[in-house]
Amino acid sequence: MYRQILYVQWCALRLPVVLLGVLAFALPLLTVTYGGGLEGAPPGQVAQWLYAAQQIGQLVPYVAMLAGVLLGIGSWAPDHAGKHVYALSLPVTRARYVWLRFAAGTTLLLVPVTAIGIGALVATVSVRLPSGVHAYPLALTARFLLASFVCYAIFFTIAISTRRAALAVLGGIGGLLLADAVLWGFGVGATVTPTVFMWLTNWPGPLSILIGRWALFDV
Amino acid sequence: MNNAIETHDLAYRAGKHFEIAGLGLTVREGSMYGFLGPNGSGKTTTIRLLLGMLRPRRGTISMLGRSVPRDMPEILGETGYVPERPHLYPYLTVSEATRLHAAFYRSFDAAYAADLQRRFGLRADHRISHLSKGEVGKLHVLLALAQRPRLLILDEPTDGLDPVVRRDVLAALVDFCSQGTTTVFISSHLVHELERICDWIGILDEGNLVAELPMAEFKNGIKRLRVVRAPAVVTGAPFVVLSREPSDGEQTWVVRGWEPRMAEWLSTANAELREVVDLDLEEGFVELLRVSRVPAA
Repeated sequence: MYRQILYVQWCALRLPVVLLGVLAFALPLLTVTYGGGLEGAPPGQVAQWLYAAQQIGQLVPYVAMLAGVLLGIGSWAPDHAGKHVYALSLPVTRARYVWLRFAAGTTLLLVPVTAIGIGALVATVSVRLPSGVHAYPLALTARFLLASFVCYAIFFTIAISTRRAALAVLGGIGGLLLADAVLWGFGVGATVTPTVFMWLTNWPGPLSILIGRWALFDV
Repeated sequence: MNNAIETHDLAYRAGKHFEIAGLGLTVREGSMYGFLGPNGSGKTTTIRLLLGMLRPRRGTISMLGRSVPRDMPEILGETGYVPERPHLYPYLTVSEATRLHAAFYRSFDAAYAADLQRRFGLRADHRISHLSKGEVGKLHVLLALAQRPRLLILDEPTDGLDPVVRRDVLAALVDFCSQGTTTVFISSHLVHELERICDWIGILDEGNLVAELPMAEFKNGIKRLRVVRAPAVVTGAPFVVLSREPSDGEQTWVVRGWEPRMAEWLSTANAELREVVDLDLEEGFVELLRVSRVPAA
C-alpha cells in the first residue's frame, strides 16, 4: 500500500520534487563558485567570501520552506480534486490513509534533503578552506531536514483540515491584523502581529528552525 | 436469507432543502437491486451514507452483516464501488490505477482485470486524463469487478455513456454476476436499464423510499384501469389505487398489485371494468412518483 501511495504521490509531484532537488543541490555549490583557492588569502578577501556564503545561505531556509509547503499541500491535491471519494472508498481507516499520505510525502521530502546534503558535501570537498573557517555540511542538511519537515507537517495539516478549520486559521490571521489596526487607530504603541510572529519564530516557537545562521561555511 | 444492506430510520440533511428522512432499505444477499429515482432524489447521498462517506443524523446501517461506520474498512474490503463521477487520479495510466487499486484489496483478481481490460479495449499505457468518458466508466467498472466483491454498489454507472459502451458495461456486469452470488445495488434514473437486469427495485423520491418490491411484482402488478360507475370511496380493495382521474363519464385508475380475479371486487362495488392496460416500468415509475407527491384521493 505504502509503495503504491508513494508512487502515486511521486507521479503527482515529480516536477516540483525534481526542481527542489536541483535547487537544493545547487545552492551549496553556488557558495563555492568563486571560493576556490582561498587558502592563504588575505583576511579581507576571506571575510568578503564568508559574507557572500552567508548571503547565499539565507536562501536555504526559503527553499526548505518551499519544499515543505509544496509537498504538504501537494500531498492532498489529487484527493481534493476528486473530493476524496476514491480515498474514502478504499478499505483502510481514515487515520491509516492519512499516515500513508504523510509517510509518502515525508519520503519525497528526502529528495531535496538528500540533494542539499550531497551538494554541501561536494561543495565542502571542492574548496580549500583558510584556517579558522569550517564547513558544516551535516549541520546544514539536518537543519534543512528539520525546517522542511516542520513546514511540511504544518501545511499537510492545513491542507487536510476541513473548510471550517481553514477559515478559523484565516480568521485568526485576519483577527490579528484587525487588532493591530484597532490599536493603531487608538494610538496605542503595542502591536499584536509582530509579537505573535516573534513567538512563532523564536525558540521554542515552531518556526524558530527557519531563523538563524544557515551558512555552510563559518568560522 | 440474509440481507446485504439494511438501513433503519436513516436520516440525513444537506442544506435547507434536501433531507432523507426515515429511510429503510432492505437488499437481500444475492439480489440485483435497482435503486431508481429522478435526478436529485437522494440516490448518491444514500450511497455515500451506505459507504460511510457521510454521517447520518439518525438511524442505523448494516452492510454484509457488519455495522456502518464501525466496521467500514472490513465492509469496503468486500465492496466494489463505481461512483457517479469518475474520481481516479487523472495523471495515472490504466495499469498504474489498476496496480494502486489492487494494493488495497486482498481479493483483487489481476488475471480477471487483464481480461476485462482486453474486453473493454483499454490500453494499459493510456493516461486516465486522455481517456474518454466511456473509457473512464469502463475502468471504474473493471476495478470494482476485479475486486471480486461480495457487494457491488454502482452509482449511475452508465450515465452519459453511449449505447455501445453502456451495453459493454452492462454485459460485463451481468456476466460477472452470473459467476457467483454477488449482491448488486445499482442506482439509475434510466428505468429500462434496470428493468433488464434487476430482480428487486427500490424507488426513491425527495429522500423518501416510495416503494421497494420484487421487479416482477412491480412490472406485472401495475395497471391502468378504465372504470365506469366507480365508487366514490375505495375501501377494502385487494389492490392499491395509486391514482384516479375522471375522463368522459368514467375514471382512469392506476393500480398496483392487480390480478385478473380482482375484477370481481369491482363488480361487487357496482362498478364496471371496461379495460385493463399494462403499464411499462417507466409509466409505473412515473405514476408512483406522482402518487408519492400528491396522495391519491
